[in-house]
Amino acid sequence: MEVSSPIIEKRIVIEGIAVIGRYLPGLLQALLTNVQLLLALLAVGFAIGTVVALLQVYAGHFLGVPAFLYEWVFRSIPALVLLFLFYFGPLQFGVSIPPFFAATLALGFRSSAYQSQIFRGAIQAIPQGQMMAARSMGMSRVRAIISIILPQAFRLSLPAWSNEFSSVVKDTTLAYAVGLNEILRHARFITERYYNLAMLAYLTIALIFLVLTYSGNWSLGWLEKRLRIPGLEMAGVSGRGRNLSK
Amino acid sequence: MKRKLVISMVVLAMVALGGGGLAVAQETYTVVSDIPWPPFEMELEGEFFGFDLDVIRASAVVAGFKVDIQNCEWSILVSSVQAGAKDIGASGLTDFRERAEKVDFSNHYWLANQAVVIRKDSGLNLVSAMTGKGPTGAVGAQRATTGGWWVEDNIQAAGFNVELKQYSTYPLAILDLVAGRIDAVIQDEPASISSLTAFPDELTIAGIINTNEYFGFIVPKGDPNGLLPRINDAMVVLGVKTAMASTGVEEFEITEGSFWENLVATYFGPPIEKIEAAWSKCKNLLLSATCLEDLENYARCMADAVKE
Repeated sequence: MEVSSPIIEKRIVIEGIAVIGRYLPGLLQALLTNVQLLLALLAVGFAIGTVVALLQVYAGHFLGVPAFLYEWVFRSIPALVLLFLFYFGPLQFGVSIPPFFAATLALGFRSSAYQSQIFRGAIQAIPQGQMMAARSMGMSRVRAIISIILPQAFRLSLPAWSNEFSSVVKDTTLAYAVGLNEILRHARFITERYYNLAMLAYLTIALIFLVLTYSGNWSLGWLEKRLRIPGLEMAGVSGRGRNLSK
Repeated sequence: MKRKLVISMVVLAMVALGGGGLAVAQETYTVVSDIPWPPFEMELEGEFFGFDLDVIRASAVVAGFKVDIQNCEWSILVSSVQAGAKDIGASGLTDFRERAEKVDFSNHYWLANQAVVIRKDSGLNLVSAMTGKGPTGAVGAQRATTGGWWVEDNIQAAGFNVELKQYSTYPLAILDLVAGRIDAVIQDEPASISSLTAFPDELTIAGIINTNEYFGFIVPKGDPNGLLPRINDAMVVLGVKTAMASTGVEEFEITEGSFWENLVATYFGPPIEKIEAAWSKCKNLLLSATCLEDLENYARCMADAVKE
């Protein structure tokens, strides 16, 4: 297909950067919505994910099977379909859920299914002997899970969890589809006012997310180092930070 | 003397209470609009304006209520008013039967026809572009808009082999047209004219299709807040009356020198930069308006400023 004239010229790029600069404060303000959604969905995912993981590891069939079903359902449905289900589904019955709330639930449930698998793996990585030792000291099973198993499991989870973090950071832009006024939708103020700046506007957003994901992962890496489990037996498991620094 | 004092104090108290009561009685209604869609919906430095939004703001001043304008994605706009989550929709909404079954419309305030935009160098005309005779055989439109439905109902249904490509926003369709992936874009006339200013050398309007579509403001079915009569009366005060012409087409009678006439002169014709500059200059007159005179001063200020 022949293009009638070059859309991108040097002059346009220079003028375009100036225009984007004018819109940058607004874009960053809209990014706050993404960050709020990120925190909300991670919180939902963390809370439910932990419960699901514990049920899968420790519960009998009665609670274990629903936990497996839950994880299977929310890991199988595309994020966009979940968003539409949570937003447009209730609307069919005259119930209007605010886009932020619908997105928090849809993406939060989805993330909880992924997080549950991270936590399950970590819980199962804690040597069985620890539970036996705790029990033999007179601790109840629940007490042992709360005081012995989970504190270690969460620390072991951090590398995998930071991967889930990088994944859901970007998912927050999907909430655009249910009308959340987040950064991608805000970019329309640029792209529909200056048609030829679409590329530059989306590149700016890409850059913003590069920075956001990098700083998030850096913070989690720092946390991982700080919370590293000391001791001979655990050193190999979460010693990435130390090995790199030596 | 003492008695007089008491009476005057009582009167004062009543005035104070009454005044306070009035201020509280100014209810605030949420208005949803899919911004931006110049010249009906526009944004500058975080503030929303444009023909629809100025009219709904002015109507609120005349009718004595307050509005909270919220930016709302097109795909969920009508349904959120329908569900009663939002009070008013002001977003260049065409009044047609299927939509009027979901929500109630105010009196019409704008007649929109569909414009067909093509590439200047394509050698096509209105008919050949719309019937799929161009190099791609495809026409673009924004998803869930009357332009796309018109192509389905009148061109495809008539047996012409034309592909309809639907986009989530109008500018995406225009960009595809410039890049040569479609032959034409169909969209309401004022928005089409405003898109030409971005590509004056590449694009042109092949023609206008008279679809006789009317814009109105929407409220939930049954008008639970009783807003429609107040908005309708306010629009008459602002200078526009609808009348049915003998041809069966609804016509707008616009009062000379009114708010309405100046607002139309501001938003329909001048380039976007001029409108933005005018808004920067005059916006305080509208945002602080309390009476019709303030509103008329605003519209006059805008109409004068775009000529500068």
